Amino acid sequence: MEGFTYVDIFATKGPEYLLVISALLTFIFFWKMLSTPAKKVYEVVESIVPAVGKWFRLPAEGIYFHQGHAWAKMENEDVVNVGIDDFAQKLVGKIDSIEVPKVGSAVTQGEKGWTLKVDSKSIDMLSPVDGKVLAINRKLVESPESINEDPYGDAWLMKVQVPKVSANLKNLLSGKVAGRWMEEVREDLLSRMNYNLGTVYQDGGVPVNGIARNLDQEKWDEVAKDFFLTL
Amino acid sequence: MKGKAAAVEIKNFKEFVAFILSELKPKGKLLTPFNVISAPIMLLGAVLMVIHLTGFAEVTHLSQEFPWGIWIGFNVMVGVAFAGGAYVLTFVVYVLRSEKYHPIIRATVLNGFLAYVFYAGALALDVGRPWNMVNVLVGNSFGVGSILFLVAWHFLLYMVAEFIEISPAFAEWLGWKRVRKFLCTLTLGAVIFGITLSTLHQSGLGALFMMAKGKIHPLWYSEYVPILFLVSSIFAGISLVIFEGSISHRVFKDKLSYEYRTSYKDMMVGLGKICAGAMFVYFFLKLVLLIHGGHWSLLNTPMGYWYLIEVVGLVAIPCFLFLQGARYKNLTLIRVATVLAMLGIVINRLNYSVIAYKWWIPFSQRYVPSLGEIVIALTFVFINIWAFRWIAMRMPIFEAPPAWAVEEDEREEEDFAFEPKLGVTMADGGKKMVERER
Amino acid sequence: MGIGRRVFLKGLGAGIAGVTSGSILTPDKLGATESAGSKEIAGSEEFMGVLIDTTRCVGCRSCEVACAEAHNFPVPDIEDESVFETPRQPTESQWTVVNRFETEKGEVFVKKQCMHCNQPACAAACLVNAMRKTKEGPVVWGENCMGCRYCMFSCPFDIPKFEYGKWNPKIQKCNLCWERLKKGEKPACVEACPEEALTFGSRRNMIEEANRRIYGSPGEYVSHIYGEHEVGGTGYLYISPVPFEQIGFPTDLGTTAYPEYTTGFLFSVPFVLILWPALLSGISYATKWKEEKRKEGGTR
Repeated sequence: MEGFTYVDIFATKGPEYLLVISALLTFIFFWKMLSTPAKKVYEVVESIVPAVGKWFRLPAEGIYFHQGHAWAKMENEDVVNVGIDDFAQKLVGKIDSIEVPKVGSAVTQGEKGWTLKVDSKSIDMLSPVDGKVLAINRKLVESPESINEDPYGDAWLMKVQVPKVSANLKNLLSGKVAGRWMEEVREDLLSRMNYNLGTVYQDGGVPVNGIARNLDQEKWDEVAKDFFLTL
Repeated sequence: MKGKAAAVEIKNFKEFVAFILSELKPKGKLLTPFNVISAPIMLLGAVLMVIHLTGFAEVTHLSQEFPWGIWIGFNVMVGVAFAGGAYVLTFVVYVLRSEKYHPIIRATVLNGFLAYVFYAGALALDVGRPWNMVNVLVGNSFGVGSILFLVAWHFLLYMVAEFIEISPAFAEWLGWKRVRKFLCTLTLGAVIFGITLSTLHQSGLGALFMMAKGKIHPLWYSEYVPILFLVSSIFAGISLVIFEGSISHRVFKDKLSYEYRTSYKDMMVGLGKICAGAMFVYFFLKLVLLIHGGHWSLLNTPMGYWYLIEVVGLVAIPCFLFLQGARYKNLTLIRVATVLAMLGIVINRLNYSVIAYKWWIPFSQRYVPSLGEIVIALTFVFINIWAFRWIAMRMPIFEAPPAWAVEEDEREEEDFAFEPKLGVTMADGGKKMVERER
Repeated sequence: MGIGRRVFLKGLGAGIAGVTSGSILTPDKLGATESAGSKEIAGSEEFMGVLIDTTRCVGCRSCEVACAEAHNFPVPDIEDESVFETPRQPTESQWTVVNRFETEKGEVFVKKQCMHCNQPACAAACLVNAMRKTKEGPVVWGENCMGCRYCMFSCPFDIPKFEYGKWNPKIQKCNLCWERLKKGEKPACVEACPEEALTFGSRRNMIEEANRRIYGSPGEYVSHIYGEHEVGGTGYLYISPVPFEQIGFPTDLGTTAYPEYTTGFLFSVPFVLILWPALLSGISYATKWKEEKRKEGGTR
């Protein structure tokens, strides 16, 4: 600038502002795209892990769930049937055997109730109630695959005499709340699988070896224990 | 959270020495491809460093026209940019308290710390009178008007902050329980300090170029270079976290904690999103500066094409790839984008220091790094990796901390959750005085 | 101009130098001295400077010889005219060089050396204050230098030179004969010049003298004093018969002192140092509160 001719020092301001406006508009689209997974991903996911209700069988009435995926059902006044929910068995796959406490021994709500033996791994599960073990379902313990048929009825694991039934049930989930909880579990599972397009099951069915195997080939028992709160 | 059983409790100096000696034994295979390639280079590099320091022979191709070479342009500038993952992630994990990236934070901070240590080493080799470097820290002759003065001090203070952040892992390794407890109380302070310092020295490295106006090509030179360097350090650092995480996922497979393994993909996708966002911003900043500088006619020159390669090919394209990778949760896309982004950073920093610097000088007279310089530059990179590996194999960086540390942390959390003095705000808004629970 | 004339003038110049080229400034001499500077050097209130009149320079290179002798450098061979074939730079063992340029007004010789800027980029760059601007004007280098070469990177004139290959390298550049000035002597090059092409004195007087010559001899000079405003003003000032681009001067440097380009950043540093910790602590506090609410609300 020699001071003898006109120089507009703000010549670029107009274009700059235009650029800024277009940058901000573009940013809106960019942000939207960044925060939502692609539609294609949603569709594939739905085909693998359908919405709760279609895939994890949730029974209508009377079943109370513990967040460690055990369930409890009142048989009569102070006797409660206890079992493993559908999600648990789909997670671990084919169970070889179940190690149960002896009849007459005590179980405590929120503490170890029994142990699943799958492959060479042992996976603890928590007991949903406090009480004394009255009976063990021998048939189930010996051939655990029957859980798949009627997980909340015939496939009860133990009968427990529970002195403070209503107090125990207060800490368990049922009905709509249980439904919401299963939604969260499904979300958790999906995000761990990370909507991984590599694990596509063509028939939409459940792998025999259990879903946990997809998350971690070697240390899948830790995945299961994480869900069962026994890690 | 599962933890390792408590390994050692060192109580006196003799035990300390014995422990260190036992830890010095190599763990894992000695003849891996990486070792076979890096070891001879490192040995040669060591020899060359001695030759350079004694002035026995001219190792570099530095000249009066080109006073700065790849030790500054690459080792220092690129190294510091790549170490930016530490300040970004510590912000996310400790200030924003997002648990998502917790599994990877220690590796990132460790890498940040080591990067600064070894690239400060590269600086010490590069300067002509390393013994006078102490004049920056002590004495009565401080060049306070110098941006390099600021950068130097920040480097040092930042190293201290990073060391404090990573020191609990060292304390766990040595079994020093009380020391660890004390160090953990310093973490948040060190993090805040570190983020502040990082903001200033990442942008400060850019500000170093401000007085080279006229010597750096107008498409790159701008008064806003510090901001560009700051924003690019965000995606440079996170790209390195993704890169290093992908490699560590395989190399340190047996050490990975449960949290790390289950959240690995989630973390990688999330990091890809951060990169996409930062690169989006950076791209538009570059566009604004292009218009502001009024030099768009220069785009039609050789340097202009080079500029387009850098900004379109190595910023806009990886930004798009990160975006798509995040949307489709596709780790391959994210990894490709990472490599491109990292290459872009290398080229960007080299542009400012040696390529777009005095761009008019014909190629035959330009600075091209000598083989010796390249070997030494690689040596610093390899030392960094070796040190990282040594520490990661022995200390709880990827694996879960020892059980006693986990218990200590859980107890700390409970203590914080209930404040007997102030009371606890209930869900309905009312207050309730609560006893301290154990 | 044959070699003979130069050699003759060199001999003549050396003899005449002490007598006519200006008086010797002694520490306690206060009054004006001819057309040269007006104040003593030690404790001088204003910058000293050197006016280089390129119409008077004949390219004898006596200044190069005097500079080398005054600072223990190898004395250049001034018989060798081949050095004029391409423009030279000062080197790590030669603080000043004379270059020759072919112009429409014939040969013009230009002496090149550190410009001793009013606000030097090198001094602002130096993180240990080894390179510093004295209040008397000369920009001098000190031994606490650590050899980072940031001064070289920043200088708009690319003057500082580094002793690569030495185990204890220095930065070499003209220091306006600072050690001589402190003794009351003039810079060696100024004293040696037989044609009075170099004049030493206060910068203010040098500019006045330059203007006097420009307006006193219309048509002989381009009406511009190089260094009066370039990069905020320099200690060495030049007047020329032809436009300065033709004789090797960078004319696109602007009038902003180079350190001013860094002030925007430097001055925001304290703000960031105060603002960031407060902001970050605040955010951390807010998220901690949120985290605790979440922990209390959750059931396990």
